[in-house]
Amino acid sequence: MITRHWRRRHNLYKLVGSRCRSCGRVFYPYSQRCIYCGSREVEQARLEGDARLVSYSIVYSVSDEAKYEAPVILGMVDIGGVKVIAELTDVSPGEVEAGMSLEPVLRRVTVNGESGLIYYAVKFRPRLGGSGSGGD
Amino acid sequence: MVGIIGVGMTRINRHYGKGLRELALEAASSAVEDAGVNGVDFIVVASSLSYKQVGQLDLAGHLASYLGYRGSRGIAVESGEASGLAGLMVAYGLLASGVADKVLLVGVDKLTEYNSGETYSHLEGLYDVEGDGFYNIGHAGIAGILMRLYMNEYGVDRLTMANWPALMHANAKVNPYAMLRFAITPEKAASAMPLADPITLMDSYPIGDGAAALVLARGDSGDVEVSRVESSTGYPSPAHRDDPLFIESLRDAVARIGLSREDLEKIDVMEIHDSFTITAYMILETLGLSDKGRAPRDVAEGRYNGGGAPVLNPSGGLKARGHPIGATGVYQLAELTLQLRGEFPGVRVDGAKRGLAISLNGFGSSSYVALLTAR
Repeated sequence: MITRHWRRRHNLYKLVGSRCRSCGRVFYPYSQRCIYCGSREVEQARLEGDARLVSYSIVYSVSDEAKYEAPVILGMVDIGGVKVIAELTDVSPGEVEAGMSLEPVLRRVTVNGESGLIYYAVKFRPRLGGSGSGGD
Repeated sequence: MVGIIGVGMTRINRHYGKGLRELALEAASSAVEDAGVNGVDFIVVASSLSYKQVGQLDLAGHLASYLGYRGSRGIAVESGEASGLAGLMVAYGLLASGVADKVLLVGVDKLTEYNSGETYSHLEGLYDVEGDGFYNIGHAGIAGILMRLYMNEYGVDRLTMANWPALMHANAKVNPYAMLRFAITPEKAASAMPLADPITLMDSYPIGDGAAALVLARGDSGDVEVSRVESSTGYPSPAHRDDPLFIESLRDAVARIGLSREDLEKIDVMEIHDSFTITAYMILETLGLSDKGRAPRDVAEGRYNGGGAPVLNPSGGLKARGHPIGATGVYQLAELTLQLRGEFPGVRVDGAKRGLAISLNGFGSSSYVALLTAR
């Protein structure tokens, strides 16, 4: 499974998405064709800007690979107007609240039991100094 | 013209003693006996999770001999949770084009070969494995996000959301092919063990194996006609949509089949893809049968079990009849066929003339719709 994660390292480590030069939409993850209009005129775009939690789930029924991570806090995050699905970190289930301000941070996602490989990706944590609904 | 001349189903369950072969044979034998035919030109096999759990490739080729049809033409179709209706689309195309005169469509799947943690890992494959599925989403994480979004957006409380599973269990209780044949109250559904909060065990489909089969024929034989089958592909993630709760691929598939909202309201019976409680409400509101934010209350008020709107999931739906992933669409078609023949052995919709099956993968990476009509 290493190749899939290695291929996607820029997406996963730096939140690199796509900007369509034809229709103007920005989306995640990167795709060579625009998922909205089909255009080939797509450039890489790093997602930046304020991040806000749109909705979330506390996931208990996880795969065996993630059993030591459970419960996983999975969020839909709006970052600069682009929605992404990603895990939350540095927060307990009782503290999570829709609307809270977040910031991206690189964290471990899973450890492959057979190979011992550790997979990393961007997760979101409450924005330091400005957590809580609506930010500071 | 394409008709359904025979149907067969096995009860959905944790069939530890039966493999793909035994399950497929049971359903196919019933369908062939019901149809009263000897040979078929083609077998089309719809399956999905079995490719991860059992690992058998060229499923049609390998099953044909065990079903007694070695030498027939065979093809396997995989479209995740929508595989069953994707199989119908292939069968319909073969018949309508005159390539085949009789097709045996078998939906068969196994979900219980591993422990649940491994099965959840397999089910993550229904989502974009290089997108949302890179994270630990489980089988219900995306559904949990969408359910909370819906509750917050429309101010619907947890107990009101639970009207759907309560109705599904009431229907499944009298369906001999259903996996979960017991009633539950909304209170019990809302307070069950959390899987992906706010989703509980009772908002989710159960993990079970099953097989269902149809014999389809070109021409005007059979009591039930496949009027149309249509589909559309959609975004890889609900996060890509402006409104994550609106399933644009379903809207597009319904538009392609040529059904307006008024037409949909006149359908007698529907079997819809209620993989989770939230999926059912998203489908009803995407179709326009319920106004946005109203579906849970419409269900509670009895609109969808004899209250004027189409009767929904008299089988008990994915929630309680069960959801053997790649086979589910064929169950929906078999159930609707029996409804239109007036022979469904559970909650029956008297005098039903038109039935609609709706099947999605995930939250609409693919959507399929099939319209069946009594002849």
